[in-house]
Amino acid sequence: MKNQFVVNVIHRPEMVPEYAEKVTGHGKEENISRKALLTESLDIFKTQQAIAHKNGIKTTIQMTYASLFNDEAVSLAKEHHEKYGDEIALTLLGLPCKEFREKYKTKDFCIWMFSMEDKKEIVRDVFGKFYDTFGFYPESTGSYYMDAELTNFIKEEYPSVKCAVATCWEEGPKAYHTCNNSWYTLFDGGPWAPWIPSKQNTHAPAADASEDSGIVAIPHLSRDLIACYDGNGSNFGTHPQNVLRGMIYDSKTWEYPYLYNLIDQYRNLARFNNGYAYNMMFVGPGWMNKMGRWEAPYELLLKSYEDGMAYYGKLKKEGKLIDMTMSEFADYYRKKKTYTEPECALWDDILYGSEKELFWYTDPYMRACVNMDQGGAIVDLRPYAAKLNWPVGIGTKHVQDASYPFLIQEKYRAGYFTHYAGEGTIRSAKVTHNGEEVDLALCRTKAHFSEEIIDGRKNRVLTLDTVDIEFADLTCSVQTKVYFEEGTGRVAHERKVVKMSDPTASVSLNEYIVACYGTTEYPEDMTPVRLVIDGEEKQEIAYEYKCREAAETGAKSVYALIPPIETKVSLDVERKGEAAVSGYIKEGYAFSPMFTLGYTTQMKEGEVVKTWLSLEKAN
Amino acid sequence: MAQSGKGKLNFRCPSCFMRDLDIDMFYDKDKKQYYCIRCQYTGTEEDVLAKNEMARFRYRAAMKRFDFGLDDMEWGADGND
Repeated sequence: MKNQFVVNVIHRPEMVPEYAEKVTGHGKEENISRKALLTESLDIFKTQQAIAHKNGIKTTIQMTYASLFNDEAVSLAKEHHEKYGDEIALTLLGLPCKEFREKYKTKDFCIWMFSMEDKKEIVRDVFGKFYDTFGFYPESTGSYYMDAELTNFIKEEYPSVKCAVATCWEEGPKAYHTCNNSWYTLFDGGPWAPWIPSKQNTHAPAADASEDSGIVAIPHLSRDLIACYDGNGSNFGTHPQNVLRGMIYDSKTWEYPYLYNLIDQYRNLARFNNGYAYNMMFVGPGWMNKMGRWEAPYELLLKSYEDGMAYYGKLKKEGKLIDMTMSEFADYYRKKKTYTEPECALWDDILYGSEKELFWYTDPYMRACVNMDQGGAIVDLRPYAAKLNWPVGIGTKHVQDASYPFLIQEKYRAGYFTHYAGEGTIRSAKVTHNGEEVDLALCRTKAHFSEEIIDGRKNRVLTLDTVDIEFADLTCSVQTKVYFEEGTGRVAHERKVVKMSDPTASVSLNEYIVACYGTTEYPEDMTPVRLVIDGEEKQEIAYEYKCREAAETGAKSVYALIPPIETKVSLDVERKGEAAVSGYIKEGYAFSPMFTLGYTTQMKEGEVVKTWLSLEKAN
Repeated sequence: MAQSGKGKLNFRCPSCFMRDLDIDMFYDKDKKQYYCIRCQYTGTEEDVLAKNEMARFRYRAAMKRFDFGLDDMEWGADGND
């Protein structure tokens, strides 16, 4: 099988580049019609196009509203379409210009934040202007974020649209924080690689044709799946100037091997996705400002773009890269992927030298992150199974907050470690012997990826290297395997006691999930949550922060209902042998606004216990 | 002159950068000093550049080129469509 590495390069002639007015215009009264600004903006676009073409890379030209009023920009787009096969598309970024402000009487510029009424008017205006200019409607569009209602409207009015830039991976509270709480792109929780958005929620991929929004979505930038989850997303992506923003270069030699490592690690994802890998570069003109950007002078900004594109060009010449326009990619993706096929990424640290390893998984039912540095614990979990309807923009409950809610988020709701008291969100297990307890989250290991058919279903399997747990009088070797079952919303952790220093000994296993819900760093109201044990009799705790617990031997399942995010999360156990299993539920308290679901059992050498976590929609 | 402006380049505060904050600094011409309006950092250009080097301490692998074994994989247009 040949592997395919597909690349999209996108340029936008943004006549008033983000940052440029703020940066170059410092000390001047705001004037977004300044001739110098417009001239420079177009020059940057021309430079970007020339660099791509010099390296044999075709581009998608995403015309901005402002550029549709500029004859030279329009003429260039037509010329490059004819000469190089570039796609002429339309972005909903770059709205700010004199014409837009006069017409809409606002300085808002993020399409997802407008009221639905305004979204419709702006889309009709922008698409109409595009049609008047080029004589056809675009096949590709996008913004930093495209909410489902916006996408559905566009697809209904303009069926030609088949591809859109629809989210920016993990651009949420972390990016907001980095910008001194002044950059309102709050959309954590989406896929990092292309997907088919559902009609109900952009982040959540469609499970079948009935949920299909009709477009293929691509992320705004291909980002580092370790660095971006921990820090500022805008420092760690296949965006050369973002790498400079992160100061990830040698300040004397102007070298940045990290950029090439990042592209290569994206190529490496072909190993986990049936030979397909994707990467994109989308640098707005504000990042190649003649005045420089932060510490980086223009010469370095330019060099980094030339070098990044030259690497793409080299790979293409070697037959290792296929450049496509966005609409070409949409056609390719539709042929390549099925609805339920997940996107997988076993991702290594290529920046900090920690040797950490994460596994990211996305399908129509969940997005999950497994951390091998924490023994295979799930440290981030988004219940896509709920396909949560979450309108955003003025007039909705979520004007800016477009994130898909989490059940587990180790950065916003702690993970294994908490200060002083309480628990953080995590899906892990504890092994206990003679009063000593070890959480597998403290057992660092590595994983091996495979695909297996089990009971007629495809599973993506992580097999973790065995860890040796040392108690005072016993050494216990445990192997973890994690099974993601395709098309069901189920993920299992299987623990096998491979060996014990005393073969007659037994240990206690406690499989658990600590969870809550939210989109930000701050706690939500937990009182709608209900915890249930489904056993001989049904036991239920309605959440009141009272620290209550319940347990039952032989419980069929334990689950939580979380009405604010229309989600049911449950655990159940597959266990051979005579040892009993006991299911339990735990309410939290005000200082620890979480809930816990779990199972306990005894294990001996050679025994295996498999605990399934399931996600379902529950209204 | 009372008002501050931007320097020749648009330096960020190195102290804030190390806590994942991008804050533009302003330049006081009289004192020949960059200063942060959010935290208490002040420094000359030379000091800012030195602190920027310090900020790179966490990128232990930034200058290493990784080998993912990609040359052992077969690449091309005729994939597993």
